[in-house]
Amino acid sequence: MKLEISRRALLGAVAFPAAGLAVPTLRPPIAIVMDSGGATVSIIDMTTRKVVRKEPTLREPSHWALAPDRQRLLVSDAAGNAIFFFDPATGKEMSHVLIPDPYQLWYSPDGRYLGVNALRLNHVDLYHADRLTLAKRFRTGSMPSHLSYSPDSRWMFNSLQGANALASFDLLDLRARWSVPVGSAPAGVMWHEGLVLVAIMGSNHVAVVDPRDGRVRRRVVTDRGPHNLFLAPDRAHIVVTNRVAGSLSVLDAKTLAVVARVAMPGGPDDLCFAPDGKLWIALRFASEVAVFEPRTGSIDRIPVGRSPHGIFVSTLLTDAPALAAMRLA
Amino acid sequence: MMISGHPFNDLAGWIEQMAVLPVLYRFGLMQWSELSFGWTLVALYGLFQMLLCYAICIPLERRFPIERWESRKPILTDVLYTAIARIGILPITTFVVFYTLQTRLDGFLADHGYAPPMLETIFPLLFGHPIVTFFIYALVLDFADYWRHRLSHRFGIWYALHAVHHSQRQMTVWSDDRNHVLDDAAGFLWFMVVGLLIGIPPMQFPVLVLALRFVESFSHANIKMGFGRLGERLVVSPRFHRAHHGLFAAGSTSVNYGAVFPVWDILFHTADFSSDFPATGDIGAPETMVSGGYLVQQWSGLLHVLNALRS
Repeated sequence: MKLEISRRALLGAVAFPAAGLAVPTLRPPIAIVMDSGGATVSIIDMTTRKVVRKEPTLREPSHWALAPDRQRLLVSDAAGNAIFFFDPATGKEMSHVLIPDPYQLWYSPDGRYLGVNALRLNHVDLYHADRLTLAKRFRTGSMPSHLSYSPDSRWMFNSLQGANALASFDLLDLRARWSVPVGSAPAGVMWHEGLVLVAIMGSNHVAVVDPRDGRVRRRVVTDRGPHNLFLAPDRAHIVVTNRVAGSLSVLDAKTLAVVARVAMPGGPDDLCFAPDGKLWIALRFASEVAVFEPRTGSIDRIPVGRSPHGIFVSTLLTDAPALAAMRLA
Repeated sequence: MMISGHPFNDLAGWIEQMAVLPVLYRFGLMQWSELSFGWTLVALYGLFQMLLCYAICIPLERRFPIERWESRKPILTDVLYTAIARIGILPITTFVVFYTLQTRLDGFLADHGYAPPMLETIFPLLFGHPIVTFFIYALVLDFADYWRHRLSHRFGIWYALHAVHHSQRQMTVWSDDRNHVLDDAAGFLWFMVVGLLIGIPPMQFPVLVLALRFVESFSHANIKMGFGRLGERLVVSPRFHRAHHGLFAAGSTSVNYGAVFPVWDILFHTADFSSDFPATGDIGAPETMVSGGYLVQQWSGLLHVLNALRS
């Protein structure tokens, strides 16, 4: 099922409440955009919506993870075999460390581990979060892509893009639990209400997986090439970026029914929710960040570096609902 | 499609969305979607390189030719070589063949605590100076290519493959990519090893990459042109490189191996600035290698290797 709705209908259906509007911020808010094709991160002043500067990386920055103390933003650079540390409030580079092939990365909710997918080298590394030393390297199938955790930090879930599978690891025993086929080229992974949602990029749906055994319980059709999933700060909606269709699908977070489809050409990839309810979306193929206003359907475009991939907004640092939705609280 | 400050990227992005991703999606190959954008860019750069060669070199070849030929038919095969090499077919094939090998090797090294270094990690002062880094990479890779090229002339079996490149008697701007696929594979392996030692170069400067590749094509052009006493020693010119392709300079007796910078030939005493646009070709190359079509030349290269092994 593909639900096309008019812009007018969109106003009511997909307006994410401005949960964090009143949240005070100490510094001018910025967006930090990982330009995979430009070997830079672009720093955008969110007020003027202009790139104010670019910070160098080594080769190909892609994803980010916020350290549990929220003092450092980690940016992975897989081709550069490095993780960069940025000040999340200012976007200034602090340091970097050499780590083989870090692609997507995320801290376990208890802050104990940093999971790092090595997409090219076909393994998942688990680092002790406090000192970034390797706790365990898990051999996986082809192309570990995205990852998520159970809220109790017991289990890690990793999509294997080349093996068409989802793998799970036990973080108490540091052992593999299962790896099961879930669909063609799985990408984004998200824990949601006791289930694991997986964006099946080689198809047109999100697989709803039982975290206990990896059984696919349901498939929610969105659009061609779903790539990643994000829980809105209102916790009532889930936004799915569809890479092939060039669109966003909005799901009801309770029923997982598609409630809206928004055309978003340019290869939507990562996105963040701003406190004013707008979505800041990296468009991989357009060298732009789109600022989407769900209430009106308007889209502003900000030119950034080549192939923008991951995006972080500094308003997250003080935006409790958004942090909670991303399990960063 | 909006054109921003990155026209190549935006055009490649448009092609990716309109053509590449739908094809990958249709055939269940979306796991390659992350890499396909890079290959679309490579193909686009290649196409632009060909257009650039056509727009600049062809008029110059007509205006200032070294040689004039009654038939330009043998050149058509070189145009095919260029299209295969530049518009992605050869890079994609090479990638498919070597990807597994390279990832296994990198994985093995990672398991032993080794992440391939980069110039910026070896020399941290370079970090944050991407253009300087790019030019140092260009110099180091040109140095590596000088030795690869020189060794390909030194060993008979290797030269038997490389003879496909040298056999062309009607050398033009399109001759640069006239290579045996195994010779190209050897070159890829060579740079894979170099990549393990110094990392891959930054690729965020497509115009500079285009300029360097243009120098290599231009140096093969049928244009009676040198760069002057100083210029000849800074950048490889058609005059300088033609000496390398001279009829009597084939095989182990050749000179001027540098692809972009003549400095390596000067340093290692293989430079010859005296030669004055000699006839090109390889007197030892069979006629099938000289004037056959693409597949005939490739087959002829293999037979040439067998002959070299026997002798």
